[in-house]
Amino acid sequence: MDFSWSDQQRELLDAVSRFAKEQLDYDMIEADRNAVFNHEAWKKCGGFGIHGLPVSEEYGGLAQEPITTVAALERLGHACKDNGLLFSINAHMWTAIIPLVYNGTEAQKKKFLPGLCNGSLIGGNAMSEPNSGSDAFSLATIAVKKGAKYILNGSKIFVTNGPIADVLLVFAATDKAKGASGISAFLVEKDAPGLDASHKIEKMGVRTSPMSEVFFTDCEVPEENLLGKEGAGSWLFTRSMTWERGCILAAHVGTMQRLLERCIRYANERKQGGQPIGKFQQIAGKIVDMKMRIESSRHMLYQCAWASGHRKSVYLEAAMTKLQISDSWVKCCEDAIQIHGGYGYMVEYEVERELRDAIGSKLYSGTSEIQRNIIASLLGL
Amino acid sequence: MKIVVPFKSVPDPYAGAGEAAKSVINPFDEIAIEEALRIRERGEASEVVGVTIGPAAIDEQIRSALAMGMNRAFRIDDARALDPYAVARILRVFIEKEAPQIVLMGKQAVDDDSNQVGQMLAGLLGWPQATFVSKIELIENNTRVQCARETDGGLEVITVTVPAVVTTDLRLNEPRYVSLPGLMKARKKPIEVLSCEQLGVSVQPMTKTLSTSRPPKRAGGTRVESVEELMVKLKQEAKVL
Repeated sequence: MDFSWSDQQRELLDAVSRFAKEQLDYDMIEADRNAVFNHEAWKKCGGFGIHGLPVSEEYGGLAQEPITTVAALERLGHACKDNGLLFSINAHMWTAIIPLVYNGTEAQKKKFLPGLCNGSLIGGNAMSEPNSGSDAFSLATIAVKKGAKYILNGSKIFVTNGPIADVLLVFAATDKAKGASGISAFLVEKDAPGLDASHKIEKMGVRTSPMSEVFFTDCEVPEENLLGKEGAGSWLFTRSMTWERGCILAAHVGTMQRLLERCIRYANERKQGGQPIGKFQQIAGKIVDMKMRIESSRHMLYQCAWASGHRKSVYLEAAMTKLQISDSWVKCCEDAIQIHGGYGYMVEYEVERELRDAIGSKLYSGTSEIQRNIIASLLGL
Repeated sequence: MKIVVPFKSVPDPYAGAGEAAKSVINPFDEIAIEEALRIRERGEASEVVGVTIGPAAIDEQIRSALAMGMNRAFRIDDARALDPYAVARILRVFIEKEAPQIVLMGKQAVDDDSNQVGQMLAGLLGWPQATFVSKIELIENNTRVQCARETDGGLEVITVTVPAVVTTDLRLNEPRYVSLPGLMKARKKPIEVLSCEQLGVSVQPMTKTLSTSRPPKRAGGTRVESVEELMVKLKQEAKVL
């Protein structure tokens, strides 16, 4: 494995750093409190080229390798404090764009990908249901073919980008008797008759990323919006989920790096008992632990992306990467609060928000328990 | 219409204290590039051509300029520390060959703050000049440029006949950021390298930098007990009153 950057990669990554620093380092306290999505920042990211990093040029992307893509997202997370925006971008990239790239027909790709890449369209994914979370394929939402249309009935929960999405990738059972093999995927556009995605859900963290419940009441979806073959939904879901697990937390390796830098600054500035608190071994030790977690997270992220770019199966690596980064991110945030003492618990210091934002990472894209199940099964347990 | 934008590579003025300053396009020149691109996007110019003087190390800034959207760019290969008059003389020959209708450039470079090249270039070319411009409008079928200049006395509006040299002030526009698609496209755009010999110009700097020194370190402040004491110190020690 060689993680040294070529001149072209370095140039691209430096451009991302500069963009993120100049355009995405905005005030977050009010936006977080009021759970406001930053449409302008979203459009800027699209126009700048973030959303289309892994998409081929003919569909408006930049055709970058996974390793360059995750490193670019890491740079984004280093400067951008809006973890909600990053969460929305991740949902958009990994659960809407990637399934389209791999499974879309030429017509579907031409219709959706350029807009999804440049930020003019927002994508999302509707899989989880009130009674189907970790047991992903036991879906109650059904789709019945009627002429040239599918009629969808049921409901979805925890739909990231739900209230703002132009197109949602919806999983529904087309043949309940076949279980996982009877699930199909549909591209449901926001103006589809019978679709209601307006019921917002308030969250503990990543509050600036809108989330909703989605209801389908005799919702009509034209047959040309079936993604992949009928019954290929679970296969398609698993494939894009591997991408999602491997990449969704890339930005937060950058977030952790920013927290580390902040803690080092604070530990050098803040004095207690006549010396900077960084001189106390218990504080220094916490900062060293943060550094160790970040480096191991980054290494696993790059290794997974590198292997994926070399057409290797990364089912195991992606689960380990997701587990490693989510655990590290939460622990880094706890340490950052502890290092900042009482101030770290105050909203004004903007460390507590990071912890609230981090905790969800142990739940979405497969809980930490599910990641451990995957790893255990691949260890022969 | 063709617009040529001469630009300079300078140390990043926004680099933090103690940070190694990377090279960037001189911010005033970046504003000139942006304005030239906007004029082209309005359909009033067909081509924006960049030119800079320096060694191969500044190709990165040239690529940034191309990534913003310039059509093509030249680097005149000369690694010497040139003074404004030498730069203006080299640019004059280049401009005469390239024959644009407008030369648009920053009013000054933020590294040496000379603020001379635009004016000297206009003089050498025998072209009219509009300096410190905060608004540009092409008028009379693109034969004249109407420029607003911010002066101490207020806003001055002048027109110049093309070909002309226009130098840009800070408030003209806010330059776009380099997008990744722009960066990818820029890799396919040519950077042409010329030498002073190829241009047929020989210049020797006429000024010589003898030394540079940092400003003296600030001495610590002192606390005064009364207004009277402050007045005495301002008069006798600081000698500002």
